[in-house]
Amino acid sequence: MSGQAAPGKLIAQQAEQQGGVLAKLVIFALALGFVPISSYFLSRDYLWAGNTIYAAITAIISANLVLVAYIIESVREESRLRAREKQQQPAESKKDR
Amino acid sequence: MSLCPPYAPFFGFAGVASAMIFSTVGAAFGTAKSGIGIAGLGTFKPELIMKSLIPVVMSGIIAVYGLVVSVLIAGGLKPTDYPLYAGFIHLGAGLACGFTGLAAGYAIGYVGDSCVRAYVFESKVFVTMVLILIFAEVLGLYGLIVALIMNSHATEAHCT
Repeated sequence: MSGQAAPGKLIAQQAEQQGGVLAKLVIFALALGFVPISSYFLSRDYLWAGNTIYAAITAIISANLVLVAYIIESVREESRLRAREKQQQPAESKKDR
Repeated sequence: MSLCPPYAPFFGFAGVASAMIFSTVGAAFGTAKSGIGIAGLGTFKPELIMKSLIPVVMSGIIAVYGLVVSVLIAGGLKPTDYPLYAGFIHLGAGLACGFTGLAAGYAIGYVGDSCVRAYVFESKVFVTMVLILIFAEVLGLYGLIVALIMNSHATEAHCT
């Protein structure tokens, strides 16, 4: 009976994962579009007193920070997935017995 | 031969347009080519999809470079008292950023495609992929730096 339930559980698990992944991707896509331009204009007007070169450098640094945050988040998600899989494996083997 | 002819803003606007257009072409190529590999990886290992989307995010950053340079150049355009010197500078800055973005997106596309396909079989390819992609992205960054340096000279010439 556990053999019949396994595909359904797998699909439900993957659907839950995909939902979380999609939300994260949308957030990062919006951040990549919004953060550099807003940091350019805000830093030009309030931080660097009109100096456009420093404002452009600020925008570039903020865009690369979004990239670094994405890389870190993707590596963390994979390690989270590995930890979850290791946790679930002993539970299933107990049921099989 | 005047220093501020009426056709000078043509070159300025051409610089703005070329920065955006060519860097976007590069980013689109990078996104599309690596997307082919990611679709291939997705059929075998869907849990690796978020890690394999890194080439797509890096292509997006190439387009952001073009966007920042376009906004920067467009901020310096004027309808009158716009010397031809400034027009040529803006054109050069836009072309520098645009074509280097095209080159960077081209590299990101091919590297992203093959590395993502290899990542299905060997997980140590991930660090290699990120390193190669970073080197490909700094090509676009060099073009942006040159564009910034050129643009800083745009206010030196005057119409008198």
